[in-house]
Amino acid sequence: MHISEGVLSPAVLIGGAAFAAAGVAVGMKNLEQKDIPTVGILSAAFFVASLIHVPAGPVSAHLILNGLVGLILGWKAFPAILIGLSLQALLFQFGGMTTLGVNTLNMALPAVICHHMFKNSLKTGMGKHAVTVCAFATGFFSVLLSGIMVGLSLYLTGEAFLPAAKLVVAAHLPVMFIEGILTTTCILFLKKVRPEILEGDHVS
Amino acid sequence: MFRKNPHHAVTLELKHNIFCLIFAMLWLLLIPVSVSAHNVTVFAWVDGDTIHTQSKFSGGKRVKNAPIVVYDVKDVLLLEGKTDENGMFSFKIPKKTALKIVLKASMGHLAVWKLQAEELGEAESKTAAQPTGMKTSLVTDSDSAGIQKNVDVSESTKMSLGRREIEEIINASLDKKLRPITEMLADAMNHEPGFTEIMGGIGYILGIVGIALYFANRKRNR
Repeated sequence: MHISEGVLSPAVLIGGAAFAAAGVAVGMKNLEQKDIPTVGILSAAFFVASLIHVPAGPVSAHLILNGLVGLILGWKAFPAILIGLSLQALLFQFGGMTTLGVNTLNMALPAVICHHMFKNSLKTGMGKHAVTVCAFATGFFSVLLSGIMVGLSLYLTGEAFLPAAKLVVAAHLPVMFIEGILTTTCILFLKKVRPEILEGDHVS
Repeated sequence: MFRKNPHHAVTLELKHNIFCLIFAMLWLLLIPVSVSAHNVTVFAWVDGDTIHTQSKFSGGKRVKNAPIVVYDVKDVLLLEGKTDENGMFSFKIPKKTALKIVLKASMGHLAVWKLQAEELGEAESKTAAQPTGMKTSLVTDSDSAGIQKNVDVSESTKMSLGRREIEEIINASLDKKLRPITEMLADAMNHEPGFTEIMGGIGYILGIVGIALYFANRKRNR
């Protein structure tokens, strides 16, 4: 899912970086002191998730976990994912410094979209069934949307959109299911153990 | 079925911290399961007058049917090809300059390997430079030994020819002997993130959290 350096055109890189910067700014504005540890932990989880390799599928793919990060953090997923991606680029040579903006946008924006679509499931008083469905959908769709956005980035650079997007999405199909299950497990666990974390910005 | 918030600020914070620790540890436990991930690498080496390239994802999986493009120093396209089922692609040396070999794996992955001109130069001298080399050695020999008798000249030519041959034989056997080593190098190029990198990254994040908390605290206390 990480786009390497030297693949995208400068226009796409700059545009991606600008949108990512805007997202990070919104996230930082929402960031309160009590959120900082949660953001840090989810950033660490995101950082490490990329090392967990999913052997199924035609090409090598790994966990992304942007759904979980987004569902819990909302816009604050932008700074969390930016930090995770920077460290991945520096230490693991995934992606690169020039593609940091585009990669952040590709992974964080779907997370934020899913957050707004499914955040109601996190409110107290929702049935377990609804929570399960929504959490799975978050894990699934955030990866799907990220795949489509990677395809879009390649398309804007000059590759044909449909083959590029199809390939990315097909490669990540097993990842989508695994992320759906993982997100559900994490959310159900958190709901039982630390429900305040999931209430996020609705609780003082 | 879900527990209600405990409305006690101190215990809440403490429990929160404990939870954080447990969560982080859970992640650490998950790591050794499979430390592999995906960026791509391409590695190229010279063997005689051909260049072999090997392309891999960092999980060790070969990159199949991916286009490989070869440029010279001035980014002029020299040739294009595709990796086979084993991620290999071989081609004849197209030009005796430094080469840039670019692997374009799918999904926005890209890797570059640069071959220096010297690496190619050696291989080149074996094939193309052989006849000219023989001639020059003959000329210089006869020049320097201008006063010498004809028999001597022909003898020295034989000598230099022999040296040529020996050199060629050595080169060939070196290529053969070094092949496992170049292949090992190709494997080693596939550098995977280890424990140090992972712990380093988590340490960075903890540090950033600490700094952020410090500043947030200062703001609140003001």
